[in-house]
Amino acid sequence: MFYLSELLWAEKYRPKSLDEVINQKEIVERLRKFVSEKNVPHMLFAGPPGTGKTTVAHALAHDLYGENYRQYMLELNASDERKIEVIRTKVKEFARSKIAGEVPFKIVLLDEADNMTADAQQALRRLMELYSANTRFILTANYPSKIIEPIQSRCAVFRFTALKKEDVVSRLNYICENEKVKCHVKALETIYDVSEGDMRRAINILQAAAAVGEVTEETVFKVVGLAHPKEVREMLQLALSGSFVEARKKLRDLMIAYGLSGLDIVKQIHREIFSTEIKLPEELKVMIADYIGEIQFRLVEGADDEIQLNAFLARLALVGRKIKV
Amino acid sequence: MSTARLPWIIKYRPKHVDEVVNQDKAKQALLEWLKSWDQGAPGKKSVLLHGPPGCGKTSLVEAVARTLGYELFEMNASDSRRKEDIERLAKVASQTSGLRARRKVILLDEVDGLDPRADLGGVEAILEVIRNTRNPIVMTANNPYREHLKPLRDVSEVIAMDRLRETDVVTVLKRICQAEKLQCDQEALKEIAKRSEGDLRSAINDLEAAAAFDGRVTLETVKAISTYRNRVYAPWEALRKIFSSKYVFQAREAITSTDLTPDEMKTWINEHIPSWYDNPEEAWRAYEALSRADQYFGRIVKTQNWDLLSYALDMMGPGVAFARKTYKGKFVAFKMPERIKLLAETRKSREYREALAEHLAKRLLTSKAAIKSDVIPYLRIIFTSNPKYAAGIAKAYGLTEELVTWLAGPRAKEVLSYFKKPARKSKST
Repeated sequence: MFYLSELLWAEKYRPKSLDEVINQKEIVERLRKFVSEKNVPHMLFAGPPGTGKTTVAHALAHDLYGENYRQYMLELNASDERKIEVIRTKVKEFARSKIAGEVPFKIVLLDEADNMTADAQQALRRLMELYSANTRFILTANYPSKIIEPIQSRCAVFRFTALKKEDVVSRLNYICENEKVKCHVKALETIYDVSEGDMRRAINILQAAAAVGEVTEETVFKVVGLAHPKEVREMLQLALSGSFVEARKKLRDLMIAYGLSGLDIVKQIHREIFSTEIKLPEELKVMIADYIGEIQFRLVEGADDEIQLNAFLARLALVGRKIKV
Repeated sequence: MSTARLPWIIKYRPKHVDEVVNQDKAKQALLEWLKSWDQGAPGKKSVLLHGPPGCGKTSLVEAVARTLGYELFEMNASDSRRKEDIERLAKVASQTSGLRARRKVILLDEVDGLDPRADLGGVEAILEVIRNTRNPIVMTANNPYREHLKPLRDVSEVIAMDRLRETDVVTVLKRICQAEKLQCDQEALKEIAKRSEGDLRSAINDLEAAAAFDGRVTLETVKAISTYRNRVYAPWEALRKIFSSKYVFQAREAITSTDLTPDEMKTWINEHIPSWYDNPEEAWRAYEALSRADQYFGRIVKTQNWDLLSYALDMMGPGVAFARKTYKGKFVAFKMPERIKLLAETRKSREYREALAEHLAKRLLTSKAAIKSDVIPYLRIIFTSNPKYAAGIAKAYGLTEELVTWLAGPRAKEVLSYFKKPARKSKST
């Protein structure tokens, strides 16, 4: 018996060329003009996650250079390569080689540039000037306000807007038809709601739901619930009910079974305490938020994941008892 | 041959198991394990015998071997770094005990003396010997919980010996006094025993010294010649000292009284705060103190400012001890921390996640962070709910079997069974 080789739909249904991009119409229009003139300025793509910033950058490069566009584009991700020295070396290396094609410049795509510190951005600005003769920078950012002024002023700024519900649903529907997957419109709308307009997440949820079974509202909720380990919530509830030792065991499960780091868990705890699933007095939520913030700070300072989170759970066991949930 | 000049610690070694004081549990376990060799090699071909210095580990092995008629082949574990020694050991271990040859038991003394850095190959070499041995191997250690000893712990039957009680030590000392026809005051023997803190070897040495000094053993001579020793404690003993200390200095001393590194000590305390404190407020205060210590460690690593170590230790010992609101004496069995056992697993899991993120980030044009938070959770769902489909994805992205296993967890076998069959391209059907 054979099985099929399956791509992740987030990759399979990613638009390859600007022509295939269905939304962000004005932006695509202006970019097409750049392509036809074979002239591109430095650009800043700003907008919420999953709105197509990176996809559009790749599509633009594809249209400029053709199928093998990736040899003319240096892709860097600021959240993975935080050190400006690394970025500098790579850009320097990349800009040095000459280009054979008819486009007189190469592209540096710096994703999630708003994750760089202000100092690193200053260095980046100098890089942009230094190599502007034969390179163009495309920066993407969720929060443009976190990009320093001098960079913003050197870039053409494009604001990507959150995708509309009907656009996302129709895209999901198209995928379902193509993949011959049964799906209910209500389910697709639910996917839109839980993915907050993030197309990538929406497609991931759809594919996971389709793998589980028919795409119904129920499977969607099931998949979303599974994706965020419920152990975090259970851990909090155990601690709040005073069962510290049990809560600590859950913590270890999370670290081993899911490979989560202390920071991952801290962030998820923060989400959980404000969710409706956990019944807590409002003032206590605020207090816990403050304390988990303190724990995150300690972790960043280099403290140990498990010890810090144990201290957190021990505190919950204490306040949970006093307040009596 | 005259035995007059033999040191007493050798002269009075137990000849038979019945002469070994106390340690009934360890005695029983070791005897049973050795006897089980009569039916061929048992599941675990080695024993790791551990206990504080001078509790009689080596003596017990000797006595048991003699009682059961085994020949003892003894080697100090730190010799195992030398190639010729390890070859000699391997040769002895691989010999079968023929009809005429006496059965052998191999004693590897002080395996915790292996330096994890200098003797990198040492543990590996011993493991290899254990794997191939045809004869029982007994290893001894003061502290078997050093991380680099984990492989040896895993393959061995672990048998614990306790620190001897004062009365046990006095019993043995009295026996020696009688044999030497020595006049010994009861008070003097008690004092020696007290100072020995359960270390029989040092007690016998002290007795011999006192006897040589005066020809009879009195409280005065004992006080004059013997001093309290700087002792190395087993982790659980140190924990007991910390949690039940009445003064800051006791808790502080206890922290550094083991041969654990401060980091290992931190792990032991982390494990056992809830074993000792059942009051939630005390437990939280203790964790808060440990957490402070942990922060100092973090800063030390970051800034290399080792001056801070002292504050870290203050918080770790006294900070944890005085988290209590009322003093309670009690007995708690401090077990080996779960975390030490799980450490390797946690690390592996983290590495898989990182490797997968790195691998997928390029294909999906996004950051590793986004892969971890937005893609891997959904992949796991696919891998745990639809093995066949999952195998297709694994194929398309060239995932290794290890990664597939990690993602699929309980359903790894099913996914792998599809994964290993030849795939067909999705468009060709």
